[in-house]
Amino acid sequence: MRRIVCAVLFMMLVLSLMSAASAEPAKESVEADASTRQVAITSSFTGTEILVFGTVENSVQPSAEAGTYDVVVVVEGAPAPVVVRRKSEVGGLWINTSSMHFASLPSYYAVASTRPVDEFADQAVLDANEIGFEHLRMLPARLGRSGASPAELADFEKALIRLKERERLYVRSNFGVTFIGRSLFRATIALPPNVPVGPLVARVYLFKEGRLLGQYKSRVMLEREGIERYIHDSAITRPLLYGIVTVIMAAAAGLAAAVALRRPA
Amino acid sequence: MTLYLPIAEMSVSVLIYLALGAAVGFLSGLFGIGGGFLLTPLLTFLGVPPAVAVATSSAHVLASSVSGAVTHYQRNNVDVKMGFVMLAGGLVGTFIGVEAVHLLRKAGLFELTVSLSYVTFLGVVGTLILIEGVNAWRHAHKTGAAHSLRKSGQHSWIDGLPLKIRFHRSKLYISTVPPVIIGMFVSFMSAIMGIGGGFILIPAMIYLLRMPTGVVVGTSLFQIVFVAAFAIILHAVQNQTVDIVLAAILITGGVVGAQFGTAASERLRNEHLRILLGVVVLIVATRMAVDLVTTPGDLYSIGSLTGVS
Repeated sequence: MRRIVCAVLFMMLVLSLMSAASAEPAKESVEADASTRQVAITSSFTGTEILVFGTVENSVQPSAEAGTYDVVVVVEGAPAPVVVRRKSEVGGLWINTSSMHFASLPSYYAVASTRPVDEFADQAVLDANEIGFEHLRMLPARLGRSGASPAELADFEKALIRLKERERLYVRSNFGVTFIGRSLFRATIALPPNVPVGPLVARVYLFKEGRLLGQYKSRVMLEREGIERYIHDSAITRPLLYGIVTVIMAAAAGLAAAVALRRPA
Repeated sequence: MTLYLPIAEMSVSVLIYLALGAAVGFLSGLFGIGGGFLLTPLLTFLGVPPAVAVATSSAHVLASSVSGAVTHYQRNNVDVKMGFVMLAGGLVGTFIGVEAVHLLRKAGLFELTVSLSYVTFLGVVGTLILIEGVNAWRHAHKTGAAHSLRKSGQHSWIDGLPLKIRFHRSKLYISTVPPVIIGMFVSFMSAIMGIGGGFILIPAMIYLLRMPTGVVVGTSLFQIVFVAAFAIILHAVQNQTVDIVLAAILITGGVVGAQFGTAASERLRNEHLRILLGVVVLIVATRMAVDLVTTPGDLYSIGSLTGVS
């Protein structure tokens, strides 16, 4: 018995040495997933966190702290058009004087990485994959009445990101991805209570020495459930009935109050 | 206790909104107004999207108007005929108003129009109510008697208009043209400003139509019931911005608050009430005027491409 075990172990050792000695080390790639595929928006929803985790295949990283690889996790919501307005003073009043329409912009955008993305990746790669706020493709759909110069456009773009960050809909976490061991990594992504309901896409990128080695895509569904879903669906699909029900509810409440709490005239 | 609102898409503390509904309900019971002009800005201030705030306030206005109108009706303080005449103009005005909102939004002038309308109307109406209240108070002090606004034998250009009918309850024989135009104008402004319009309607009925003050509040509430119901359905169908959960919370607070307000109003003198209302209206107007003239903290803002405001 012992002999057999020894033989098997020896064979395995030989095989592993052979593969290590072969001309090229196996190419690294990345596999990932989100802890929840489905987030239910119920009446008690107050925001949540999703965990994105993954592993580097064929990792040559000696330890979790070695920093051989850089990983970026991007979670984004469905794209939507948005308009940004700017106020200026006209005759003592602060009023919106110019605006910029953007055709399509992620309604939610979270980016987490092992370190600031600009430290390890090429601008071209970041632009191509829309990694990081500065690398989002923001196409002005139509210029405001004033017409805008590139400098003004840049101002609008900066303001848009600042405002989205303030609403906690754009989140950046420069050291949000951590390695646990040689190949396993994880990142927690916060979904605020005001996150737009809809499908989310999680993208994971693996970098080594500034080169993009691989990427992985996964989906997370944000869906209303229970009474929330029923109410929202009614408002959209049967708006007239929904309006009438609201009117009846309000009128009944007013009537009940007048009758129940009536004092002698 | 927090609750996620299905249309506003945000998580809110129920207690805060109950308290807000109750506070506005108290004032509407106290002064006999819908309170939309207070509720809409306050909801926006708390982070409710403006379009949802405008539409959902209407539900609160409807509940408190029904409550008030029923009570006034039982006390025979409603001129139903006058209410319907104004309503005829009102429905037309609402249609025009909703169309105007659409055009103003296209031109990017909507926000400015709303702010200026609020400041102008609240400022003028608040000042009028305040002056009138102070005068009545002085007069009451001098003579010890209640001040009557209506002096018999007074005539104005309004008497010269055609289509006269008799309004028994208001003891008036006047042309239907002014009430229709007033109803139309007030509803037009309501649609733009997202309010019931009581604070414009009441002074218009007192000063322009010279209706007896006793029936003014009841008739105004009666008219607002229909305008608010119409507005809710219009908002629900066109913009899907009515949040029924938020409405239920606000209404629950509102109907309770309104009863306390009505009780309090019975202990206060009429002219004191008017002075108080004038002060409240002026405070809101000043707050909005300050916002218009001070340098904003952030020159930029994100606008949504859907909804009313």
